[in-house]
Amino acid sequence: MTDPVILLQILWTGIAMSSYFVLFTVAFALTLKVEKLWNFAQAGLMGIAFYTLYWALNFGKWPVWAGVLASLVLTGAATFILEVWAIDVLRRRRSSSLIFFIFTLIFAQFMAFLLTMLFGTEPETIFPSVMSPVRIVGGVAVSDWDLQAVGLTTGLLLVLYLLIRFTRDGQFMLAVADNGKLAEIYGISAMRAYLLSGLISAVLIVAGIWLYGTRAGVTPDVPTNLILTAVIATLIGGLGRVFMAAMAAVGLALLQSFSILFIASKWQGLLLYAVLFFALLVFPRGIPVWRRRIKAPPPQKAEVAEAGA
Amino acid sequence: MDYLASMGVLIGIYVILATSYNLIIGYGGLNTIAHPIFFALGAYTAALLSIETSLPAVVCIAAGIGVAVVASVALAMTTLRVSGDYLLIASLGFQLGLLQAINNLEFAGGPAGLSNIPMTFAGPARSWIWLVITAAVAALVIWLVRRSMAGPFGRAVRAMRDDEEACAALGRSLFAMKVVIFAVGCGAAGLAGGMYAYYFQYISPEQFSIAQSATILTMVVLGGIGTIWGPIVGAFVLVALPQAITFLQLPSSLVGPLQGLIFTSLVIIFLFLRPHGLVGTRLAGGVH
Repeated sequence: MTDPVILLQILWTGIAMSSYFVLFTVAFALTLKVEKLWNFAQAGLMGIAFYTLYWALNFGKWPVWAGVLASLVLTGAATFILEVWAIDVLRRRRSSSLIFFIFTLIFAQFMAFLLTMLFGTEPETIFPSVMSPVRIVGGVAVSDWDLQAVGLTTGLLLVLYLLIRFTRDGQFMLAVADNGKLAEIYGISAMRAYLLSGLISAVLIVAGIWLYGTRAGVTPDVPTNLILTAVIATLIGGLGRVFMAAMAAVGLALLQSFSILFIASKWQGLLLYAVLFFALLVFPRGIPVWRRRIKAPPPQKAEVAEAGA
Repeated sequence: MDYLASMGVLIGIYVILATSYNLIIGYGGLNTIAHPIFFALGAYTAALLSIETSLPAVVCIAAGIGVAVVASVALAMTTLRVSGDYLLIASLGFQLGLLQAINNLEFAGGPAGLSNIPMTFAGPARSWIWLVITAAVAALVIWLVRRSMAGPFGRAVRAMRDDEEACAALGRSLFAMKVVIFAVGCGAAGLAGGMYAYYFQYISPEQFSIAQSATILTMVVLGGIGTIWGPIVGAFVLVALPQAITFLQLPSSLVGPLQGLIFTSLVIIFLFLRPHGLVGTRLAGGVH
């Protein structure tokens, strides 16, 4: 079991499998950062995204691009409706975090029941087969799905980074995340930032569910389990640190992958909750990150003279 | 008629659950959603003891309460130093982790659950006897919560909920109060679990999932958090209304999801039309 090739295989598969966890986690962490909202409704959005893809490609016989576009449009529209006609209403009422929690959780449950009525409880996949061509690289099996997953996730995270770092809307999102009221005084629309973060999350959710649904079966209950993993990774990464949350998601996926060397697969799920519990007790603000201290510049001569006067 | 009695028992059990949960979240201000796991611990302990031993039902249910109290104290001792959203998530992790463990334990029946729980009060009047017992126990729990919250301890608990620092400045041990509130509330959930297992004679992990957390939380908040009557009204409305469709002769595969749809729709409607709860005031609990 300690053969380096086997370890490498577990490492690669773990990284590839972490892709959808990363996308769901970043979607969840971004909404939490900008809107200060534990948005469990994203589980419902995952359901909408998946079953739109499933219906379009299997019943509608649409081309892949049209299915993906339909999924993006419907998930984005649902996000918009949720933001404008539900979450913003609660926000204007100054509802407590408990009310937001109930609403988002109940919305996720509502979607699960609705999808159960429409599509049943049988696991479904986006394509009839989840097999994908495999090549051997240095003794490690690398499938097309693995490459697609790693490539798509890396690309989307890069775009998100550039959007946040170099665009006005990205900077406005950060400003609203830091202090929404102050940002509004400076003329930044908080609602626009909330909507943008919601829509970015919708794109990440569609990408994540695409990867998940082309690899494994989905039932209406699956999104709730997926969102819980995102919550755990977000907490471990530290609230407000979106890319650290993504790293935490990779770490959790690797921990689960390597745990097969030590524990039975049926206990792997428990491992996640144990990590969550440990992280909350030991690092309630997330795993601390080392940051280089920035020294204050020495006072200018004029300032010294002023202080002396 | 037996169906009505059966629904009455279910409402009674939910009244116990919602009232005890209201003690924790409404009066104590402890944002935890792990109540169903203590319900599960009570149910599984009572069920396993009744299957494996010939102990009387009262003893098995009392053991269920004991296990729920011990588990709640263990959770409280470790997590009550975090609060707010963190406590919410920690309790969620505790619940799902323990459920995952129950799901994997063979002696607890695994995902299939336990179905061979011995019958108590056999005969045609069984459901009615259980209805009387459940109603009496629910009334007792309501009375105890009402009485304890009306006295000096209740005032101290509400003061802690409203302003922890001011309450601590008066010399109260907040931690001890939190642990007591948590243990009493969870013990009552264990009691409800024991009764549920004995009456319905079947329990499985999925009955205590996150959906159950949402159900009990919703009963409390939509009924009126921090009030005595709120959780009772919430339990009645949210158990009884979705049951109405069982009279429509729909296929069994549709009934479950449709009941869930009705339940969640009611919650969403009430959340926006009556944000302070059906019997709550705008001030009670301060969570609107």
